[in-house]
Amino acid sequence: MSSRRDFLSGAWAAAGAGAAVAGVAAVGKALSDSPETARTVDLSPALLRKAEKEGGLVHEGLLVRGPASAPIVLDLTCTHLRCRVAPVEGGGFSCPCHGSRYDSEGRPVSGPAPRALSRPRLSPSGSGFTARLS
Amino acid sequence: MILGRLTWGLLAVAVLSGLALAPFWSAARPLESLETLTGATPWGFWLRGVHALSAWGFLAGTVAHLVEVLWKKSDRRLSPAVWWRSVALLPVAVLALLGGFLMRGDAEAQAALAVWREVSASIPLAGPLLASLLLGVPGSDLAPVALHHAGTFTLLAWLLTAEHGGALVPDLRSTVLAALGSFAAAGLLPVSLGPALAPDGALLLGPWYLLGLQGALVVLPVFAGWLLPLLLVAAFGLVRHLEGRPRAALLAFVAAWGAGYLAFTIRLLFATR
Repeated sequence: MSSRRDFLSGAWAAAGAGAAVAGVAAVGKALSDSPETARTVDLSPALLRKAEKEGGLVHEGLLVRGPASAPIVLDLTCTHLRCRVAPVEGGGFSCPCHGSRYDSEGRPVSGPAPRALSRPRLSPSGSGFTARLS
Repeated sequence: MILGRLTWGLLAVAVLSGLALAPFWSAARPLESLETLTGATPWGFWLRGVHALSAWGFLAGTVAHLVEVLWKKSDRRLSPAVWWRSVALLPVAVLALLGGFLMRGDAEAQAALAVWREVSASIPLAGPLLASLLLGVPGSDLAPVALHHAGTFTLLAWLLTAEHGGALVPDLRSTVLAALGSFAAAGLLPVSLGPALAPDGALLLGPWYLLGLQGALVVLPVFAGWLLPLLLVAAFGLVRHLEGRPRAALLAFVAAWGAGYLAFTIRLLFATR
């Protein structure tokens, strides 16, 4: 049977927990004050030529391949819990966190990944491109 | 209870060795700084081992002591509020240790950081803000993680342990015993760092105490990452208030939780072979 003291103790604990959550929310909001902006990665002509010559290369978490004039770019961030996937021998990609597998086009083949690797939007920038990641 | 006192001694050793390690660690270059410490600084490898092993011992001791208390039904000796705060020591200890793991900055730590950011962000209402507060924003250095590892969670762990133990510091005998055990273990068991990048196609393992959760997240949605631990903590806390069959049922739930966690751990370990 709970005493009045237990009830008050519980009420204080609940109030403290509520205040803590509010405090965390307030400080967190202050810390993440600036709205999250999309990350951009510059793909220079030299990098694009190198990627074309080598049949693809990894640059700042992106896989760049295809012709330098019209590159194909894949974001190597797993669509499950955002770990960095790695190319595997024989083509395709593997996530080191929970074992999701993607084919060479970035489509999920097995594991918990819910969708394909994203393809950043490319916009011309000088004689190269800028990849915009959401 | 000897186990409880020894566990507190291990916390003291972890804190003292952590203070000794702090000047060598860099938030901007975590892995490089630790490689320098362990590879080029006399006794650095051993000191890091003392810190890691005493911290692991603290977590293992906390769990074992909790089980011991429930087994002997001595939880009733504590007031409900003190009991709940003692139970809270478990997630606080895990969060403190997780911060230390993330501070390694190697491929395993980077992967764990990405996962924990998603798990934290999936908490309703305050999730994204909590993730920013505890782990920093994506792309930032590990300073926020270090702050909570050495500050928030270690202080909380100390305060909760002190309240539970009824004294501000552990007794000298337990501390010396814990220190000797940690020193010896650090000499025998290497605590190595991982590579900077994940080997192709290989599964990276998180900290040993979270392998069950890592395995669970292969098949369960992301919110299981905080909901499963929350259920365990709630069950431990509620046990104090129950008697007879309800208490037995709740303890059975805790045992089932533990068995499931072990099963997910083993499943994950088999997947890495």
